Amino acid sequence: MSFEDNRFPVPVREELAAALRRSWADIGRPGTWWTGPERVAIAALARADRVQRNDPPWRRDRSQPPLAPLPAQAVEAARKIGADPTHLDRDWAEATIAELGNAHYVELASVVVTTVAADAFCEAMGIGYEPLPEPLPGEPTRERPKGLGDIGAWVPVQVVDWNRANVARALSLAPEGVRTFFRMVVAMYSGTATDFEKMVWDHRPLSRPQVELLAARVSALNQCFY
Amino acid sequence: MLLRASSEAVGARVDLSAAVEDAADGGVEHGAILTAFAEAVVRATDELDDARARALETLGPAKFVEAAATVGIFNGLVRVADSTGIPSDPTTLERTADVRSDLGFNAWSGARASGVAEAPA
Repeated sequence: MSFEDNRFPVPVREELAAALRRSWADIGRPGTWWTGPERVAIAALARADRVQRNDPPWRRDRSQPPLAPLPAQAVEAARKIGADPTHLDRDWAEATIAELGNAHYVELASVVVTTVAADAFCEAMGIGYEPLPEPLPGEPTRERPKGLGDIGAWVPVQVVDWNRANVARALSLAPEGVRTFFRMVVAMYSGTATDFEKMVWDHRPLSRPQVELLAARVSALNQCFY
Repeated sequence: MLLRASSEAVGARVDLSAAVEDAADGGVEHGAILTAFAEAVVRATDELDDARARALETLGPAKFVEAAATVGIFNGLVRVADSTGIPSDPTTLERTADVRSDLGFNAWSGARASGVAEAPA
């Protein structure tokens, strides 16, 4: 099992460790549009380029072939979203989506962001990366969610009965990606919706200003406007 | 910006420039330790081991884990926003209108998705 207790140098609350374990295992499962082996290959590409993020893309070692056959645009997208988030723009995304399809693109992004969050946590904790999950057999569901629309993002998102933050619906085209990643968000940041609404937190050891200072600094370092 | 709102909720005045300056404390308890830790992780610098050790020693294990978790998940969240071009929420844009330009946020490429982009300085 991944993210076992004995991996950590200090105690980690079980809710957090359990979320990491479940979401990490999800990467290896068939998704909506990509197979388990393809999803693990996407995670591996994102990790491999992100490890080399201080080098420009043209100097990175990319000699390892993908763990599973992927379209060239998927290979590039996994690397770019993983390692170069400040270089993402609408023109690039539209060209990539034109080749992959928007649902494939969003699911790929969901795998990358899950991988990056787990890897960055390991870096922060001072432990090695979790080994990539074993890919599971099976076919993607290929079920496109209903109730999506255009709110000005590069991809369609949920528009029916929505009253939460936009970022929480950014991955709407990949429902399993939403579940996988936002399980981690709840455990690693927000807590429940009720917790999140409060400006004074008592569900985390850090105060909310301390958490939000970290959040703001990480966002700024990544030049994330959102 | 939730940093300002959560600080005001406890009667504190935060210096938002801590979001864009190195190792700034912003008026938040142990702020400089936290921001230095975040910077070392995101930038993968040689200072990471020292920054981590300072964070663990100063904060203690439970708070250190929360800091690591926050840094981890926000490295994912920024990529959710920036890989999908999701626009900022109207209430956030309204609440940050007075500081975005001064802090340089409007010059970032993601500002275009929210319709408030400025040319980089």
